[in-house]
Amino acid sequence: MKGFTGKLVGSVYPITGAECEHVHRAAVRVLEDGGMRCDDPRAADMFKKAGCKVEKDGTLVRIPEKVIMKAFETCPDTFTIYGRDESGYNDIEIGNGEVHFATVTGRYLRDIRTGERRQAKRADAVDGTIMADALDNVHGLYKAVMWLYDEPKICNSQMLVGEMMKYTEKSMTWVYNTGAEHEVPDLIKLWQIAAGGEKALKMKPHVLGHVIANPPRVIDVNYTSWLIGFCDAGIPVTVYSALMGGATGPATLAGMLVQALAETLALVVQTQAYKPGHPLCFCSFNPAMDMRTGLWQFGNPEYGTVGAGLAAMANYYKVPCVGFTINDSCDTDEQAAYESHLKNYTYALSGISLIWDIGGMAGFNYVDWAHMCIDNEVVSFIGQYLKGIMVDDERLSVDEILKVGPLPGSYLKEKHTRQWYRKEFLIPELSNRDFFETWERGHTELYDKAKQKALRILDSHENPVPSDKQKEIDDYLSFVKKRDVGEADKPSKRRQ
Amino acid sequence: MDQAYFDKLAQTVIDGEAEECVKLVKEGLEKGVNPVDAIEKGLARGIMKVGDDFGEGVVFLPELIMAADVMKQGTEILDERIRSAGTERKTLGKIVIGTVKGDIHDIGKSVVAAVLQANGFDVTDIGTDVAVEDFIKAVRTHEAQCLGMSTLLTLPLQIMGEVIERMKGEGLRDTVKVMVGGCPVTQEFAEEIGADAVGFDAADAVKKAKSLLGHG
Repeated sequence: MKGFTGKLVGSVYPITGAECEHVHRAAVRVLEDGGMRCDDPRAADMFKKAGCKVEKDGTLVRIPEKVIMKAFETCPDTFTIYGRDESGYNDIEIGNGEVHFATVTGRYLRDIRTGERRQAKRADAVDGTIMADALDNVHGLYKAVMWLYDEPKICNSQMLVGEMMKYTEKSMTWVYNTGAEHEVPDLIKLWQIAAGGEKALKMKPHVLGHVIANPPRVIDVNYTSWLIGFCDAGIPVTVYSALMGGATGPATLAGMLVQALAETLALVVQTQAYKPGHPLCFCSFNPAMDMRTGLWQFGNPEYGTVGAGLAAMANYYKVPCVGFTINDSCDTDEQAAYESHLKNYTYALSGISLIWDIGGMAGFNYVDWAHMCIDNEVVSFIGQYLKGIMVDDERLSVDEILKVGPLPGSYLKEKHTRQWYRKEFLIPELSNRDFFETWERGHTELYDKAKQKALRILDSHENPVPSDKQKEIDDYLSFVKKRDVGEADKPSKRRQ
Repeated sequence: MDQAYFDKLAQTVIDGEAEECVKLVKEGLEKGVNPVDAIEKGLARGIMKVGDDFGEGVVFLPELIMAADVMKQGTEILDERIRSAGTERKTLGKIVIGTVKGDIHDIGKSVVAAVLQANGFDVTDIGTDVAVEDFIKAVRTHEAQCLGMSTLLTLPLQIMGEVIERMKGEGLRDTVKVMVGGCPVTQEFAEEIGADAVGFDAADAVKKAKSLLGHG
């Protein structure tokens, strides 16, 4: 899907070009002088192959600057995450100057039909996927819900991804979930089935995989398994640190940036050593710790600022950047709106290619399909802002201004108006534009309008995934269920 | 020892000054200070003050965690002296806490440990990625009255149930309360595995620990 574009994309960074150089030097010092603890011998071998010094029986790797810069030489500066539709409409270009938005996830949700706030179940993964598939400004999906509380833990990820593959052809992203024995090969198999085979997935990967360092400064076993799995399957990856300022990272913004960058650079080296040329991007995911609760907090400005700083660094190395925004509010309210969308705009201004935020709240704990509809509308505002003012002769409208004025002339009945207003003005679907007294006399609240829209989608959105593909996925899920818990899987049915 | 000494000791905890604390503790012991007094009139008063300030939003986690660490360093020296004298000190109860095998997430568990300590419990934090047998061993070694287990991930949840089963097998379950916590832990899950309580956050863990150990 074509993302939002405009002259403002990539126009505002929180650090200057000279400061990028300074941050680079600092991160290199961390990697050269301190290095990364390496918990996986396979990872140590990758670093050795890249030309790094591996010490302490392979458990400590120091990464010289020349190795880092060599790794960037093989990184493509753009890549595609494909949709599974034949038309190419759902393809997303990463790093080409477009800004895309995608869903986030939650363990809990508000049941759109009953209003109850409860744990997510398998049927909710179906609903969440249908919602994301239907909304125009949702360019891709994260996990439709975080966990399926009505499915066994051992095969939870498989059931979740299977349901997602059955109800959308938009691309998705995946972050390690349970660490279950078969999680990596099973999910790759499901993505291959959805794509039409192993080769088809390699040709047109419809997934973006996440590979994360464990802060401070550890290369992890599970993520090394995922790195190998993603690279072997031809799935592009985003590499990043999941540090939390004040806890697993420093309590200064520049310090957070340096450590996040150092850990990201280590993963760039690891990925390119394992598979030179494999497409990758940076990812902004930089919460600070809330000093009262110890929880990660996403809503504060520092999150967005460090995230945009990382985008500046991605730009410095000429690789793309993606990022999570999200908010800390526990319901659809004012806090959810200002926290999410100030950051979304900040991210978009810094040129982040793909932003996961839509539909989620409470730091990956809560989703709401009506909220998803509202976010879908808000990002259309952001898209409009990003355009800036396009200046050309026709848009300058001098002939029209001379023709219509002075009063009592009006632009309303001019062809020029009809020609341009839909292109230049935003016409929101849900936001109130009623006159004050009309609104006072009676209105539908924004949330209720969004809820009605969500219910309409769930009721009537046509599933783009062919039934034979759904059957193939169901068969694989059944195999997984039988192997893991010894019983046949009951395929989901769409709620009515 | 006079009140000024105990005040200075309390202040090292409040200020997060570990070196000064250890120095003062050693000086005190050399001069014959009663180690139980050094804890109760000095270190514990300091940590309680930090705990109160934390509750009121005057100080935040960095101050609390540092204070808990200073308290721990001072207490370790004094506890050794108390044990060798065959005496005991009063706390709200002994708690062993750790993150279960398969999970290396440390922060949430450490915050809970510090807040419990600041509220008067004797807490032993046995770290992350802790195997079933190591929980059992720690409960025995530290004569814990309550065991706290944490995880942020779903699969390691099962370890919590395994620890409880092992405790039953080893005859520990009747005397040791179990509190569980972490992102995926629900009340239903706690009941399913036979835990006594869920600490949904640090303040909740304090409330539940007090109740479990008869102080609430």
